Amino acid sequence: MADGTKTRLSEPAAEPASPQPSGMTISRDPAHEGGDTILTINFGPHHPSTHGVLRLVVDLDGEVVTRVKPVIGYLHTGIEKTAEALRWQQVVTVTDRHDYLSPLFNNLSYALAVEKLIGVEVPPRAQALRVIMNELCRISSHMIWLGTSGLEMGAISMLWYCLRERDKVLDLNEEISGFRMHTSYIRPGGVSADATPRFLEMCSRFVDEYPKSIDEYEDLLSENPIFKLRTQGIGYLSQEDALRLGQTGPMLRGSGVDWDLRKNAPYSGYEKYDFETAVEDAGDCYARYRVRIKELREATRIIRQALDTLPDGPVNVDDRKMLPPPREELDTSMEALIHHFKLFTEGYSPPVGDSYAAVESGHGENGCYIVSDGTHKPRRVKFRSASFVNLQSTERMALGGMVADMIAIIGTIDAVMGDVDR
Amino acid sequence: MTLASIATETGVSAGDQWVTVPAAQIREAITAARAEGYDFFGFITCVDHLGRDDGGRPPYSGAGEAESPRFEIVYQLRDLSRRRQLRIRAFLPPQDPVIDSVHDFYGPANWDEREVWDLFGVRFQGHPELTRILLPDDWVGHPLRRDFPVGGDPVDFSQEHEEWQTAPRRA
Amino acid sequence: MGVEDLAEALGDNIITTTLGKVIGWGRGNSVWPAQFGLACCAIEMMHIAGSRLDIARFGSEAFRASPRQSDLMIVSGRVSQKMAPVLRQVYDQMPDPKWVISMGACASTGGVFNNYALLQGVDKVVPVDVYVPGCPPRPEDLINAVQILQEKIKTAGITPKL
Repeated sequence: MADGTKTRLSEPAAEPASPQPSGMTISRDPAHEGGDTILTINFGPHHPSTHGVLRLVVDLDGEVVTRVKPVIGYLHTGIEKTAEALRWQQVVTVTDRHDYLSPLFNNLSYALAVEKLIGVEVPPRAQALRVIMNELCRISSHMIWLGTSGLEMGAISMLWYCLRERDKVLDLNEEISGFRMHTSYIRPGGVSADATPRFLEMCSRFVDEYPKSIDEYEDLLSENPIFKLRTQGIGYLSQEDALRLGQTGPMLRGSGVDWDLRKNAPYSGYEKYDFETAVEDAGDCYARYRVRIKELREATRIIRQALDTLPDGPVNVDDRKMLPPPREELDTSMEALIHHFKLFTEGYSPPVGDSYAAVESGHGENGCYIVSDGTHKPRRVKFRSASFVNLQSTERMALGGMVADMIAIIGTIDAVMGDVDR
Repeated sequence: MTLASIATETGVSAGDQWVTVPAAQIREAITAARAEGYDFFGFITCVDHLGRDDGGRPPYSGAGEAESPRFEIVYQLRDLSRRRQLRIRAFLPPQDPVIDSVHDFYGPANWDEREVWDLFGVRFQGHPELTRILLPDDWVGHPLRRDFPVGGDPVDFSQEHEEWQTAPRRA
Repeated sequence: MGVEDLAEALGDNIITTTLGKVIGWGRGNSVWPAQFGLACCAIEMMHIAGSRLDIARFGSEAFRASPRQSDLMIVSGRVSQKMAPVLRQVYDQMPDPKWVISMGACASTGGVFNNYALLQGVDKVVPVDVYVPGCPPRPEDLINAVQILQEKIKTAGITPKL
């Protein structure tokens, strides 16, 4: 089934086969005497509400969920293998694409990991720009979450409002880097380009107008009796379960645990900004909704502070072994020419070792673990995926509930399948 | 047993604290780490050290390890209350790599171990359902091993694509 | 009353054309895509349904969830080896006439991921009518692709595809 260039490695004799019921089957569950039947149905991978290519095999007793088995891998892209074949500076382009709703967060986690290993620190202006772009990315990620969750629960107009704001954030991305999505803006050593005055003015205007949009969303949903009926008490995850299942991000903070990497393990200058972590105690879908809405408001505050206190200076480290020299120097300096040549043909080689850096993305702890063997290509790049871990709480939350609540639960997990499957 | 008594080597790499433990004692090591407060899951992954220029041994494999360890299982753990992290390494030989599963200590370890089995072929003893998770069920081979080719369509007239199929040469 | 008088009396109230043109005009202006968003390109596909660039004004009013009710499959995103049979099954479930737009570099040729895990181009399993390059393509590019497809549909005629 796979391409014929693979070699057949010697496999251990018995590879356990995984049970893969497909389609609809009605099976008798021996535990249910008296003629009850358990219906096994298949959600996805082509399904309007599974946020990408997630497949859930669900056992139902009437409308009540008795077992949930997520089947993933429908978007497995082999990104970690591809990253081993690219040079260190080229890997940044594939970091955009695994969690495609948080490209700038992934860029930052990779850049921080490489910079930690090499031992450089980017200048303060670059740190502030990284914070601004990260918070804008958080806003755009939550816009998709809010729009699609609302859409699936019947609040169709949420999608149009959220896409309208997300278009404005993508305009900002385009102004600063030239791309709407997948900017690869944050790179090891700094950022790809300085902020133009037009960007600063557009961003400032966006931050002034955005809180009114958040008020609009809250007007539509927060006190809406139908929305509350569909989210309050649904998808309950207790604090112990959230910690035991390794949840991060709004999944953890919605269950009352005050853990946010921006506060508890700060990076890129986050300690300079004044903001609150969004924590709610109820542990249900409504609590996580409130957490994310609060995160939107705090993101606007952070961007406003970063814009007001944006320091002057360079946006890249002044290390010619890591970043190319300015093109004007190539005419006059032999050394600059050699650095340019070496960087573009072979690239830099971090020292032997490994490093791990994690950022607080819109979904949770997105991290990057790199292993260097001293050559110009990585030995291993592993992406710690928040969605991969968060998705494992589906069964805990859905058991005992109705099948219609599964939609609300999948929406609240906010799993990005590209990140789950990599 | 404390973690310090099990560990064969410790160190700091790029600001991250790590310890190496013998693969046979991984469950004791994780128990000790949990006792010290590292009870929040980071990730579990594997690194394939095939074809390194230093003869196939990673630089820090510890004393008393197998002859030429190829697979390094890495466990990243977090201590939320004291805000610190720990990396635990265990090395496995190239033939029939097996290690005990820690799925009962951390919930998410279940899927991470399935992923390591799927992509590297390392078996986890005691795992309830060690099946492929990311690749189709009838896939043959373990793609993230270094001797598995990157695959895809060959690019004509390009030397770059040939380089993808082998371990990287020293610069 | 002769035929000439009849024609004069009716005047400009009658247009004559061919059946193929009328059907092509009807089909082309009401192309309903199936939701087949796979990865990043799917997000840009959502933007063409948004209010800034509204694809409903070109006739694609509804993105149907069921393939039985749609005519166009926009493959937006990378197709992994595990997803390929699902893609083919959804394509087979669509009734004729149907068209496929391969959106993005990954769907067209495998994109930036030339490796074991992806189909190097969705045209290995389904016939594609329009390819849209980009990673991801701008929403305007996708609307352009839908317009090119509409031209293709309008001039195609009504002979069934064999």
